[in-house]
Amino acid sequence: MRLLMWWSGRALSSAATLLGVSVLIFAAVRMMPGGFAETVLGPFATAEQEAELAARYGLDQPVLLQYGHWLAAVGGGDFGVSMISRQPVGAELLARLPITAELTVLAVAASALFGVPLGVLTAVRARPGGGGAAGRLLSGLGVSVPEFVLGSLVVFVFSRHALGLEVGSWVPLTQDPAANLATMVLPAAVLSVFAISVTARTTRDAVMGVLVEPYVTAAVGRGESPWFIVRHHILRNAATPVVTLLGTITAYLLGGALIVEHVFNLPGVGSYIVQAVGRRDYAVVQAGVLLAAAVFIVMNVLIDLLVGVLDPRLGVLAGRRS
Amino acid sequence: MRPIRLACGVTAVMLATACAASTGTTTAPTPDAQESPGYLTVADEKLPAGGTLNLAVHIDSGAATGYDPQLADVATTWQLLSLSYETLVTIGPDFSVQPLLAEKWETPTPTEYVFHLRQGVTFSNGRAMTADDVVGSLKRLLASKSVWRGQLGPVKSVTKDGDSTVKVTLSEPYTPFLAALANVPAAVLPMKEIDDKSVDPATTLLGTGPYVVENHRQDVSWTFKKNAEYWAKEKPAADTLNITIAPEEAARIAALQNGGAAMATLGNVDSSTMLAGAKDVKVVTQATTDFYYLMLNTQAPNSKVADPKVRQAINIALDAQQIADVALGGKGKPTAITPAGLPGACDPAALPSAAKSVDEAKKLLAEAGAQNLSFTLSIFNTEPAPAVAQVIQQNLQQAGVTVKIEQMDEASWAGKVYGKAPAEFDAALSWFAGYADPGMVTKWWNPETAGFNVGFMKPDKELNTLIDAAGEQPAGAERDEALAAVCAKADADAQMIPLVTRPATVAYRTDALSPSLYATEGYGNVLRLVADARVKKSR
Repeated sequence: MRLLMWWSGRALSSAATLLGVSVLIFAAVRMMPGGFAETVLGPFATAEQEAELAARYGLDQPVLLQYGHWLAAVGGGDFGVSMISRQPVGAELLARLPITAELTVLAVAASALFGVPLGVLTAVRARPGGGGAAGRLLSGLGVSVPEFVLGSLVVFVFSRHALGLEVGSWVPLTQDPAANLATMVLPAAVLSVFAISVTARTTRDAVMGVLVEPYVTAAVGRGESPWFIVRHHILRNAATPVVTLLGTITAYLLGGALIVEHVFNLPGVGSYIVQAVGRRDYAVVQAGVLLAAAVFIVMNVLIDLLVGVLDPRLGVLAGRRS
Repeated sequence: MRPIRLACGVTAVMLATACAASTGTTTAPTPDAQESPGYLTVADEKLPAGGTLNLAVHIDSGAATGYDPQLADVATTWQLLSLSYETLVTIGPDFSVQPLLAEKWETPTPTEYVFHLRQGVTFSNGRAMTADDVVGSLKRLLASKSVWRGQLGPVKSVTKDGDSTVKVTLSEPYTPFLAALANVPAAVLPMKEIDDKSVDPATTLLGTGPYVVENHRQDVSWTFKKNAEYWAKEKPAADTLNITIAPEEAARIAALQNGGAAMATLGNVDSSTMLAGAKDVKVVTQATTDFYYLMLNTQAPNSKVADPKVRQAINIALDAQQIADVALGGKGKPTAITPAGLPGACDPAALPSAAKSVDEAKKLLAEAGAQNLSFTLSIFNTEPAPAVAQVIQQNLQQAGVTVKIEQMDEASWAGKVYGKAPAEFDAALSWFAGYADPGMVTKWWNPETAGFNVGFMKPDKELNTLIDAAGEQPAGAERDEALAAVCAKADADAQMIPLVTRPATVAYRTDALSPSLYATEGYGNVLRLVADARVKKSR
């Protein structure tokens, strides 16, 4: 019963959030300077052509009616048609999602593989001269460098010295997996620099919080090996904030790594949305933002479930005690 | 400390890269160097045909009108559609009109054009092109809402005379007619299929051109395959054409350097410097008739430039040569409203404003009571527009005019400049395609013809009469004089002030491609001769 209530609550709050996002994005695209007519048809278009376009996409109707039609269509799985390509937006998003997903998987995997050990290391060696300062410096640097700076630098360097990797091109995974990986590693690496740094910092803070717990002191007193202590006592108890962070990063990146996809010319969801914003392609922007919000909501639910598995005290079925 | 370390690290990497890149076989950029008269480079016909040609361009065709060539109104779309569509005539390297789908033509009178159609031409579906297709296409264009309809001039009738002859009659002489016929909107369409609705030109490309579309993903890529039915049997040389859309300049440069692309269009004039020393990469600058111009809004309720003296002062204070040198790296040329480089175009140095000094500009401002004039210049953020705007700002500062630059994305800019009538900007910067006849673009100085200008520009009857008169004059000294009168009048009117031509930068890999490129281009079509290009190697 409690589980049913939890799911019902989450479903209702998720639906309310999505509805709010839909209102915001629908209004926002229409409030952007530069209307669809001048952008999509260009300055040479006649008033008649503009009226035709507006009628074709229902943009001549009252805004509330437009919103209602759009929402009803989205509810039925129809995200509309791009004013530029005349193709269904849903199909294009589906075609681009695997690229964004692959980029996300690579970046999050790198974050977990490098960020967590780095965080643990800087925490257990927090004493002066233990190497913690170097770790903190690295993670600080990673958080500070903007993606577009790092991305541009990587594009510049690797366009001259490929080292087996590639920038500026993209090869579908289905066409040539090895070549695909060669085009995805660098953008994923750029994305992961920030993610690794934040993961390392969060892990460090979490581990340091656990290190002062009595059960760790007891384990040390029992003469357990440092690796055993880290694995069995520290990591599991410090995992909650790290898992939450990695889940949030995953959700964020799945919504489209806008800057990195653009800089590396990857045809993912992010570059689709960026181009659509530039062209005031309403249906694409609305669908892209709604998709990003939906992914974020779903990921948050999954994180809650996973946290419950890792630490039943915090799970969705945990009893509330006052 | 962190920023300093970061800066040192980045600098070290850049220096190491630059030093390392300067080794090996290198080719310096060669802007404007002509391999043979009229050509920047000519494809080596001794190389074998075939192979895949990979290109990278900055923008896709993107209009709500789809692929319909008659409704295409920007050069990027013309460029892509020209791979599948062809016109009756085309433009040669010296802007001369040359045969294409019409093998030859006659002009029995100044208002009659008789085209003899090339035999053996078929659409890519295998159906032979007929005189009906030509007549139908031109009639469809004339009845359409295409902006190109106005460029065709006063066409009275289009008729066929037998199966292979088409006659066009004008109501009065119109010299740019053939040049206007040479651009993609005047392409010959498969009218039989369009009429029976088995083909929608907005969604399907079906032309007589050298390539057939195999796949197009909007804003991602195009794949073209050789048209097996193409009438010129030795063309196209490359079997497959892959065009990647890469909006980010750095990505195009990277693809070029690592071999992902054999040829790329570049938008930033500094990119040629960035590629200097890159192994096996050659950068060339193609002169175009496209040009930047400054719009002064005289239609706004409290316009600061409504007084012609103010506009003339601004015109005098502008230094087009400095804009060309500083903002365009010396690759553009000052121009009047007839694009510099076209035969018969006016000499910008002979314009009335060119002979006047900044002091005279100040005097005009004083006479107009606008000594402390300040206004906002609205520009889009695509390079090199911001650089052009900065030079304008500095030029006008010399005359005591304060310019605030307002930079925005192209959509916002278009909304501000064209979204309302009267328009809400003070001044704005843009560019026109210059076309292939000096009289064509002058039509845009008449807002009654160019409706897109009506929000910020008042019609000038005298100027409009001069523009029409120049259009009717046959090429020669008299037409040159008529065009000079148009230039002088537009210079004094100064509601739209022409500045400098807009060069096109193209880079290609010498180890992967032997391309042909005109030294000058009227319709912004870098891919005009792509069917000649020989692929040396491809990935």
